[in-house]
Amino acid sequence: MDPRLMGFMNSPTPQTESDYSRRGFVQLAFGWAAGAFALAASAAGALRFLVPNVLYEPSLQFKAGRPDDYADGSVTFLEEERVFLIRKGNTYRCLSATCTHLGCTVDRAEKGYHCPCHGSVFDEQGMVRGGPAPRPLAWFLVTLSKDNRLLVDKAQTVTPDKPLVT
Amino acid sequence: MNLPSPLELWRRFQRSAVGRSVFRVGLPQSSLERAQAMVSSFVLHIQPAKTHRHSLKPGYSLGLGLISLYLFFLLFATGLLLMFYYVPSTERAYDSMKDLQFVVSAGLLIRNMHRWAAHLMVLFVMLHLCRVFYTGSYKSPREFNWVIGVCLFLLTLGLSFTGYLLPWDQLAFWAITVGTNIAAYAPVIGPKMKYVMLGGNAVGQEALVRFYALHVIVLPAIAAFLISLHLWRVRKDGGLSRPAELDEPVTQVEAPRLPTAKTYGLMELARGTTPQVGADPDEFVLSWPHLIFRELLLFLLVVVVLLFLAIFWNAPLEEMANAIHPPNPAKAPWYFLGLQELVSYSALWGGVIVPGLLVGVLVLLPYLDGKPRGVGKWFAHERIVANSVFTVCLITAIILTIIGTWFRGPNWAWQQPWKPVAAHTEAH
Repeated sequence: MDPRLMGFMNSPTPQTESDYSRRGFVQLAFGWAAGAFALAASAAGALRFLVPNVLYEPSLQFKAGRPDDYADGSVTFLEEERVFLIRKGNTYRCLSATCTHLGCTVDRAEKGYHCPCHGSVFDEQGMVRGGPAPRPLAWFLVTLSKDNRLLVDKAQTVTPDKPLVT
Repeated sequence: MNLPSPLELWRRFQRSAVGRSVFRVGLPQSSLERAQAMVSSFVLHIQPAKTHRHSLKPGYSLGLGLISLYLFFLLFATGLLLMFYYVPSTERAYDSMKDLQFVVSAGLLIRNMHRWAAHLMVLFVMLHLCRVFYTGSYKSPREFNWVIGVCLFLLTLGLSFTGYLLPWDQLAFWAITVGTNIAAYAPVIGPKMKYVMLGGNAVGQEALVRFYALHVIVLPAIAAFLISLHLWRVRKDGGLSRPAELDEPVTQVEAPRLPTAKTYGLMELARGTTPQVGADPDEFVLSWPHLIFRELLLFLLVVVVLLFLAIFWNAPLEEMANAIHPPNPAKAPWYFLGLQELVSYSALWGGVIVPGLLVGVLVLLPYLDGKPRGVGKWFAHERIVANSVFTVCLITAIILTIIGTWFRGPNWAWQQPWKPVAAHTEAH
């Protein structure tokens, strides 16, 4: 469309290019601004639409049974939760089994942990001892629930020297 | 009683009122009709009425772009069929794959064709890219068409990658887990991008539906649009590239500079203001039948090779996806294995910096190297620097891919493919 027409579509009389009236300019500016806003708002809505508000994933908090279920000095792999539960004396700790490199599940090795995907090696404390992993494995907060069960919260990470002491 | 031959029957049909209403020209008999057949047909008019002999040389283009296009058609057709049985749910996806393999008539064949065509398309799009580079065909006036081509290359990878998750087997699950975690290393938006891509924190039902939607409609629709644009630009940029010498008049007649006020025919305007005196018209041949026949033959060849592959080799289907036990080693699709090998040294370099730089340089290439020399010739001497740099990058990529494919065993440890793999022990 002729650009001159765009601003004056609503004006009663056709005007020439040199005759940009104030009203014409305001109409033009508002018209384009409204159009641009409508497009931008729709795009923003569409983008936000793609970010889910509800997740149908397992809860990040879970109960891991009684403290006595784990033998002293044991390292137990909990499959469903992809964590290791470690008991030493009367201390309980929970180590993430998700490799910090690309999200594979690490295996228990003779000393420490080993990722099968890209060969990252972690020691007993979850520290990186080899391979491409950029960060140590995460330690999760372990507490005792009211009914005397181990309660692990995968949303809260702690340092390895903060075990649950019973 | 004398029965007319099938050809004669066909001719009679074309001469009838119905036949003439369908085919505007009919089987062409003269040069004029051959040109009209190309121009008046919706399907054929994207191609020129006449084609330069140089474009028809099989050794020049190797038909790589056309093969990619045919594979896209075949993927569209087989993919449409697979959609009638496939259900994108974590509970039923794997079962529908088993149904396709063992229950549905010709299901195995259709799935094999789809899988092998997908791998072949990635391969042939890459080869096409190499051909265009080594012949310098990305230079003026084809710069933008090269950019569209790079976008199509990335779309091809995206289509293949999104399709990889759909069988919901171990291969699918872990390739996508590794792939999306590589994406999460992108600066600033990485983690959010992974979250939106998966529709959650881990590969699950939401991720499957998202990849399905991308695979069956979003990416194919974009690809179909860009392919149309790509082909249209090939026409508008003057057909396949060829050496500039070929377009120079055979007899160098100094054409008098005509007054610019003169009204020119459309053809003269399209190629400068001086009519090409003495240009040899014989360098162009009628597209019908010279081009059409070759294209049809190539299509048949592609179908035959694909059928051969699909009949004798089955597409892999591993155990059902299991979030607890990654296979050891967990490998990405072959075209990402070079990247995975790099990622095993450093996730940031292999996952973000190197691929980002590669894509950036590929997109900007025609604007970085715009000197119009050595166009239309394989390995032109004028382009020895550009060709050498490209070859070094290519060989590096191939070596990394070979290492990732054959020299990496359990725990991504070095292995020699000719030695039997030591039985790997389950740690739990």
